[in-house]
Amino acid sequence: MSGSSISGEATEEAMEALAAGAPAARAYRRTHKRSTRSPLWAIIVLVLATVYFLLPLYATGVFGFSTGKAFTLQPLFDALGDDGFHSALILSLTYSVITTILAIAVVAPTAYLVELRFQRLRSTVEFLTILPFVIPPIILAVGLSNVYGINSPVNLLSSDWAPVLLYGGYFVLTLPFVFRAIDNALRAVDVKMLSEASASLGASPTRTFLQVIVPSISLGLVSGALLAFTTAMGEFTLAALLGYPTFPVYLLNINGYEAHIGEALVLVSFLITWAGVVALAAVARRAPGTQIVRGGPM
Amino acid sequence: MSRLELVKVSKHFGDQVAVEDFNLTVEDGELVSFLGPSGCGKTTTLRMTAGFEMPDSGAVIVDGVDVTDLPPNKRGMGMVFQGYALFPNMTAAENVEFGLAVRKRPLAERRVRVEELLELFGLTQVAGSYPHQMSGGQQQRVALARAVAIQPGVLLLDEPLSAVDAKVREELRTEIRRMQVQLHVTTILVTHDQSEALSISDRVVVMNRGAIEEVGTPTQIYSEPRSAFTAGFVGAMNEIPVRVVSGAQGLVQRGGRRVAAPGAAGLVDGQLGLLLVRPELLEPIGATNGVLNGDLTMTGRVEVQTFLGATTRLLVRESKTDTDAGPGLVATRLLAVDVPSANAGRWPAGSELRVRIPVGASRVIADRSAAAAASVAVAVADRQAPPPNVSAPSA
Repeated sequence: MSGSSISGEATEEAMEALAAGAPAARAYRRTHKRSTRSPLWAIIVLVLATVYFLLPLYATGVFGFSTGKAFTLQPLFDALGDDGFHSALILSLTYSVITTILAIAVVAPTAYLVELRFQRLRSTVEFLTILPFVIPPIILAVGLSNVYGINSPVNLLSSDWAPVLLYGGYFVLTLPFVFRAIDNALRAVDVKMLSEASASLGASPTRTFLQVIVPSISLGLVSGALLAFTTAMGEFTLAALLGYPTFPVYLLNINGYEAHIGEALVLVSFLITWAGVVALAAVARRAPGTQIVRGGPM
Repeated sequence: MSRLELVKVSKHFGDQVAVEDFNLTVEDGELVSFLGPSGCGKTTTLRMTAGFEMPDSGAVIVDGVDVTDLPPNKRGMGMVFQGYALFPNMTAAENVEFGLAVRKRPLAERRVRVEELLELFGLTQVAGSYPHQMSGGQQQRVALARAVAIQPGVLLLDEPLSAVDAKVREELRTEIRRMQVQLHVTTILVTHDQSEALSISDRVVVMNRGAIEEVGTPTQIYSEPRSAFTAGFVGAMNEIPVRVVSGAQGLVQRGGRRVAAPGAAGLVDGQLGLLLVRPELLEPIGATNGVLNGDLTMTGRVEVQTFLGATTRLLVRESKTDTDAGPGLVATRLLAVDVPSANAGRWPAGSELRVRIPVGASRVIADRSAAAAASVAVAVADRQAPPPNVSAPSA
């Protein structure tokens, strides 16, 4: 029982109920109408989209895994026997893993601090992370090789530090995905309240981040990591222009003279990526109480 | 010895005054409530005590040590949040254990302490459950257990019950008090719920617009409010405009009747005042009864009956004949009168009612808010709604 004016209380409640009810009713009408509409168009669109996406995959598979008459795994065995394939794969894996670790290690604390203390910087940070979408990788590659190239006073490109350029470039390219994934996870939990609760129990900011925040956003971290990894694994422009024979570069090269091997590898790498996405979705569904804090006050 | 002291604490957000010149001393083992409407600065004061907000000026002192510049994790204060703030990735037991683990207590000691606390709060069955598997009441119990696990010097409760439903709320508040007394932990409770504040506090700090309106025991706050704000905020209170005839003799006047009101002592002669009367002190009397012992009476028509359980509240609009209350006095808009529910049938809506106002048992305070406006433009104030002068609980 809290004191307040006699009049007004009831009306206020009625207004609230109205305000809450009106959009709900509208949404209901909308969905209701949609469900009674004939699904014929939906089926047609679905079939067309399926054909559009699956046909090239089918063609790739047929080309990569057939001798012209029968199914064969020979191109894959050929690839496995190729030294170029091994070194390209190892190079790509190394760069992708390190980029992923770098991206998570930098973005997670940054996004956390933005959410917790520097809300004013949010729009700036969001803008920065979207830049890679606006600036194509080719510009990034040309820019990097000009600024750190042979004619530059800071000639990283022909020094031992050259890999830094690729890590830096990959990091920038993965930013939008990693930031989105982590930021979404952070916004799904009450970061401020959890951090304050942790601090009130005596935990330092670092401990709070590692023991309270990180486990609460683990799903966002996993999906961010996966997105960073696949982005780096599939990146072609930067690697090709900066002179790194990564897996995508190898794929293009081998397609030039051993097209069957190239196509077979394309299909296999596609399937691996796809399996990764499915695995992620499965993890997302099983994760106990990570993404959403249920039962909190509405 | 005083456990917590807030000395001249002030906080502004931009141009907005959040808290102004807040002074309070809390004794060891005391439970003090900050009570006030939203935006009155109670939560900001609590957050400054916890260290989550930095005061612009003033000091927070715990056990004689100035902790104003200490970060929250070094203050050793337990805090319970409105939204529970349980760690979603930890079970109930792990949540309670967290503060002890931070303090690097030996594992065996932690286990024992966690078990004790879970039992104290009736949580043994949900020890292994995650927050999302528990009810709101259980979650808040875990939050309480977690906060007291660290044996805090001061326990801070920020609207701890506003997220749980009504039935659990009453149960939990009793439990909070029981626990607080048992553990003898100095506690500050922030609430906008007057019944919560009155029921379990040693003292209540009523706040309004960033400042302390008054501090007192629940009985003082309820029965002898010193301001119209407190009177209106804490429970239902009728405010009946009167004119002070003699502050020295405690004489007030209304509707041509001059009566002795001890509560008026100290007010300036000729000043407008408000006679504060709780609805349960008003008594319906027969139309022919004489006026007793110098009390005031009022006649009106019952507009609404509200059933409150043991009592029923009648909202009575004062009759036109009574509105000539005297020069500069506005008629009381609505009078809340509590009668036993068994008798409520005698005064259905629309019926006439005569009420005795026990002036001797009531306080009179200066009518600061509307004094000028009322005396200058009685007519205008009568047509436009006069300031609300009856408050009621919003169960």
